[in-house]
Order: sequence, then C-alpha cells, then structure tokens
Amino acid sequence: MAAFAAWVESTWISKALFGISWLWPASESLHFIGLCMLIGGAGLLDLRLMGMFRGLHIRHIKALMPWAMAGFVINAVTGALFLVMQPHLYLTSAVWWSKVTFLVIAGLNAALFETRLAVPALAMHPDADTPRQLKIVGAVSLFSWFAVLYCGRMLPYLGTGN
Amino acid sequence: MAFFQRLQTSAFTDWFLGSPSIWAYPTVLTLHTVGMAILVGASFVINLRVLQVSGLIPLHRLQPLYRFIWIGFAVNLASGLILFVTEAADRVVDPVFYVKLGSIAVALVLAVVVKRRSLQPAGAPQVASVQMRSLAAASLGMWTIAIVAGRLMAYLKK
Repeated sequence: MAAFAAWVESTWISKALFGISWLWPASESLHFIGLCMLIGGAGLLDLRLMGMFRGLHIRHIKALMPWAMAGFVINAVTGALFLVMQPHLYLTSAVWWSKVTFLVIAGLNAALFETRLAVPALAMHPDADTPRQLKIVGAVSLFSWFAVLYCGRMLPYLGTGN
Repeated sequence: MAFFQRLQTSAFTDWFLGSPSIWAYPTVLTLHTVGMAILVGASFVINLRVLQVSGLIPLHRLQPLYRFIWIGFAVNLASGLILFVTEAADRVVDPVFYVKLGSIAVALVLAVVVKRRSLQPAGAPQVASVQMRSLAAASLGMWTIAIVAGRLMAYLKK
C-alpha cells in the first residue's frame, strides 16, 4: 500500500491537484457541508425507521434522500481528491480503512433497505411503530454514518495517519 | 487581552494541546464535528421542508428536531469554549472567528423564528410564506458561512 501510495503521489495529476493551494481547504469545507446534508437527511429517515418521529410518513421523508445523496456525492468527490492528493495519509492508515469499512456497511445496509424492506416501509401508516428489522436497519445506518464521521475526524490523531 | 493571553498559555492549554491522549484535543475536536452534524443536519432538514422539499411532511411534526438543534448546539458550545480557551489570544483578534460566531447567532435566531412562525399547529397552512422561505434559505447560507469560517480558522492558526 505504501508503494502504491507513493506511486499515486508521483503522478502528475496528484502533484497538479495538490499544487492548487486553495483546493485542499475548499474541499475540507465542502466535506463538512456534505456531511451535514447526509447526516441530516439520512438521519431523520433512520430515526423514523427506529420508531421515533411518529406522525411522519416514511414515504414523505424519502423525499429528502436526493439531498442526502447529494451530500454523499460531495463527500465522495472531495474524499477522492484528498486521496489522490495525499494518498499516504490514508492508504496506510488503519483508521481510514475502518472508515471505508463503515462506509461499506452503511452502503450495504441502505441497499438491503431499498431492495428488501422499502416497499412495505413506504406503505406504513405515519403513526405506526416500525417492525424490528426496520429498527435494526435504521440503527445500523445511523451508527455507521457517525462511525464514518468519527474515523474521518480522528484519522490524523489515531494510528498511522499524520 | 492579558486575560486571553493567560488562558492561551495556561497549564490547562499546555496539557490539552500537548497531551498525547486522544481524549484531550482530538476528542473535543471530534465532538465539535459530531455536534455540528446534529445541529446543522437538523436545521438543514427543517429548512429544506420550509423550502417545500419533502413538502408532504406536516410542518409541525418537525418540531422535535429542535431538540436535536439544541443538543447539537450545547455540545458545540461546550467543546467550542474549550477549543477557544486554548487559542484565546489568537481568536479574539481573528475576524474570521467573529464571522463564524455571528453567522451561528443569526442562524439560531432564524431557526427560532421559523419554528415560531412556520412550524405551528396542525391545520395551519402547510406551505410556508415567501418570507419564511427566504429565512430558511438565509439559514442555509449562514450555516455554510459558519462551516467555511470554522474550517478557515484552522488554517489561520498561528
């Protein structure tokens, strides 16, 4: 991984991007904004799946998901920029790989919801409590996103990150 | 000024910034980010709804989100105070810091106004007025300014 990171860092694209002085701080700001959009939108859906916010139709909350997704895309793009600019900070960091693991968990969990559970969930009465599997899916999602945030923010201070 | 200098050079600051423990600076910094996610995330959802995104959600049903706004704010006020103490002398003369504080203050006032005027009882109109929508849009702008200013402060550190 260290060799691969060194190779990425030697490419012209990595050097060119890292040479743009404002790109790193601007990407950081966007990364923070994206995380608020993602956790705000997805978080409300997660809480409703967990049985809170009765009175809210799950179908109506889902209208927020394109905005949560937009936040995710902002963070995927800015995250990719960090990775290309300074790969050695991430690829050799166990904390970063933990972050990736929680991202995968959040993604698989969302896919499980969309493919197996969404149809009955969207049809639920707004005041109804949610069945156990939806509570688990909501809790896993909420936990994973905060774990992603935690790993990302702690990355410079834990493990091999700089 | 001498007071802020004393805070910044206090034994607490030395310990806080110098400690190798992840429970000192890294954890307080991370709490500040978690609080932001809860506070701005909740405000973001409310503002989107006022702007008619997810327009079928009954407005007053979002009132419980204010609990998250105040919890997130409390976490960030506490963590922010600690972070401020450790760089107090630098921050009191940093205009970006005042931009951040000002935009947060305005965003919170806007959140309260939107709650009082738009998230009121069931049976009330479910489409916010143009005025309330402008306030919601302004709130999104204020949070953006606060986040960018907060990030910039890390770069303007002495």
